Amino acid sequence: MSMNDYLPIAIMFLLAMAFAGVSLLLSRFISPRNPTPEKLEPYECGIVPLQEPVQRFPVKFYLVAMLFVIFDIEIVFLFAWAVRFEQLGWYGVWAIGLFTLLLVETLVYAWKRGALDWNVSSRQRYRRVVAPEAREEAA
Amino acid sequence: MVGNLDILAIAPEIALTAAVVVLLLVEVNFDPHPRVWGGIAGVGIVAATVLSVFQWVEWSGGSGELAFSGMITGDGFSAMAGMVVFPLAGLSLMSGWRLVTEMRRRGAEMVSLLLLAAAGAHLMAASANLIMLFIALEVFSISLYVLAGFTRSRADADEAALKYFLLGAFASAVFLYGVALLFAATGSLSIYGDPTIYEAGARGIIRADAGIAAFLDSTIILEPGLLLAGIALLIVGLGFKVTAAPFHVWSPDVYQGAPGGITGFLAASAKVAGFAALARVLTVALGANIADWAPAVAVIAAVSIVLGTLLALAQTDIKLMLAYSSVAHAGFILTSLVAGPAGVAGMWFYVATYAVSVVAAFGVAAIVSGHTMGRSPLSSYEGLARRSPFLAAVLGITMLSMAGIPLTTGFVGKLAVFTAAADAGYLWLVILALVASVAGLYFYLRVIVLMYFRPTSDDAITPRVDWSSGIALGIATLATVLIGVVPWWLLNLLNDALPF
Amino acid sequence: MTVTPGWYMALAAVLFTIGASGILLRRNALVMFMSVELMLNAVNLTFVAAGRNLNVLDGQVSVFFVMVVAAAEVVVGLAIIVAVFRRRQTASVDELSEMRG
Repeated sequence: MSMNDYLPIAIMFLLAMAFAGVSLLLSRFISPRNPTPEKLEPYECGIVPLQEPVQRFPVKFYLVAMLFVIFDIEIVFLFAWAVRFEQLGWYGVWAIGLFTLLLVETLVYAWKRGALDWNVSSRQRYRRVVAPEAREEAA
Repeated sequence: MVGNLDILAIAPEIALTAAVVVLLLVEVNFDPHPRVWGGIAGVGIVAATVLSVFQWVEWSGGSGELAFSGMITGDGFSAMAGMVVFPLAGLSLMSGWRLVTEMRRRGAEMVSLLLLAAAGAHLMAASANLIMLFIALEVFSISLYVLAGFTRSRADADEAALKYFLLGAFASAVFLYGVALLFAATGSLSIYGDPTIYEAGARGIIRADAGIAAFLDSTIILEPGLLLAGIALLIVGLGFKVTAAPFHVWSPDVYQGAPGGITGFLAASAKVAGFAALARVLTVALGANIADWAPAVAVIAAVSIVLGTLLALAQTDIKLMLAYSSVAHAGFILTSLVAGPAGVAGMWFYVATYAVSVVAAFGVAAIVSGHTMGRSPLSSYEGLARRSPFLAAVLGITMLSMAGIPLTTGFVGKLAVFTAAADAGYLWLVILALVASVAGLYFYLRVIVLMYFRPTSDDAITPRVDWSSGIALGIATLATVLIGVVPWWLLNLLNDALPF
Repeated sequence: MTVTPGWYMALAAVLFTIGASGILLRRNALVMFMSVELMLNAVNLTFVAAGRNLNVLDGQVSVFFVMVVAAAEVVVGLAIIVAVFRRRQTASVDELSEMRG
């Protein structure tokens, strides 16, 4: 491997550094600065925290996280196809297209059922989407 | 490059998957009446059944083919699996329909999961590659894990789902390790081998995948440790799914905890799919090593029969009784497999007719004890004949069939299975099974005595039979009696349902 | 000493055994669940090692499928465990004893 092969990596590195530096400098110059002691606190509002909270908190986005795991892993098959897509020809395109279509269908279903808006409490979601009959149980 | 792409080999799966996709999209977009879900699911199931019949016409009786790069087989065996599983799914859906409608919008998901499980079950029977078999097994099992815990209004349903899931996942991992060891020992994952596949290996080596069977036929393995461990783990993993003892511990809890309307399918489809997979792997891929696995299968069968019968004797809940009796039945069915390919026709007869009986029995239990409920104590069946003659007749005939009384399918099934095992030289197993069958009479007939000869208590409710489960139970009972009286045509038919 | 595929398969066997004993001995649903994952990954290691040993690609391809199936299993399993946890505020299977089968 000659030094030339490292040139793209070096350019990439420089570009990355430049991007980070420019972003930091820009925000420094453009944003208004008006610091008060409260603003520099780790918790900006409310009383001064005495200790870190130890109790569990609801993980509202666990549904989104689980959907992510599924979709994330399914992408593996796209890699396998992409490596050999020329040899696989139209057959491969059709197969992977069908596969992607099924993934999209899953996404549409999850979206429509409200599984992706993670800002609702789990109980609300349960009542609203998952089990409308729970309303009667609660009543 | 891509080889045989015979769509017919996976046509039933395509039909069911399409039905699921349409069903979910229609449900989430239009929120239609449950009747619409039922219609879509019905079309899917009927289409899948018809396509299985096409497969049968095309491939039954020895001729068969490998499709999709040696992943799927089209043969009489897989066609028969479809012709058993899909009608079974239809019957289960009909008898569990009240549960589906009670679930409101989640009912659509329930129907979809049931269809996916049926597709997975058929795929298990049609797989020609062990990894394909694993995927099919998981499609099937994961759908059932969710179904088992579907009624969340009851505490023991999610308990059942969790137990089913943990032990099922454990069994899947054991099965998969068996596959990996078999791969390490034979260098192939293919049950049949596909000589048309040539792979350019990493170092430019051209290699034909001859398949496990061809490798074992042509090679003398000097150190068979890996191979034997692989076979053992495979049998254990699939033994879990078919509730063979001592791998049955999950079944009583799951059968009792799962929503009543769905338990029948849970129990029946696991038997059909599990035994189909077991039969194909053992008789085709490992057919040359029958001397290695047949004794192990015989011992598992014996343990299942004895343990299942003894534990069923002590139960006071009909679902627990059915769960333990299903362990015994798993033993009876395994009895046929010790005969190798000669026992496959008998296995089909037993497993298909038993599956119909199980759906009918759990269907009655669901009506008597409620579609969402788990428990179903025997005391609630006292005097059922007076309260609901129809349900009592259905359950009575089902019990007679499970006990193996002549003129029911259970008798013919036992006869076929025991003959195969006796011909293969496992007389001790047959005698043990016969003794256990006689002991089993006690708990089956006890249900009939309770229903017909005990007074009904004053506060007992009269169960209401909805029309869809009525039709399903009627069909199941009629099939049990008719096939039991004239079984010959089916037995002849099943001789064409061997793996090719 | 060179590390041959046999060593990897031995390691996988050990990992699989650890996972299996985790299922049988531990009583926390989450830990049991992790043990299942350990077992599946031990199988993956076996597949890769055996494939390498035999100079066959099937082993590595199998791992793809096992990973995907394992992910699906994770999602369903976690959903079931969350449902159980919500109801009882515990993930210990010992307290799941409403049924005595």
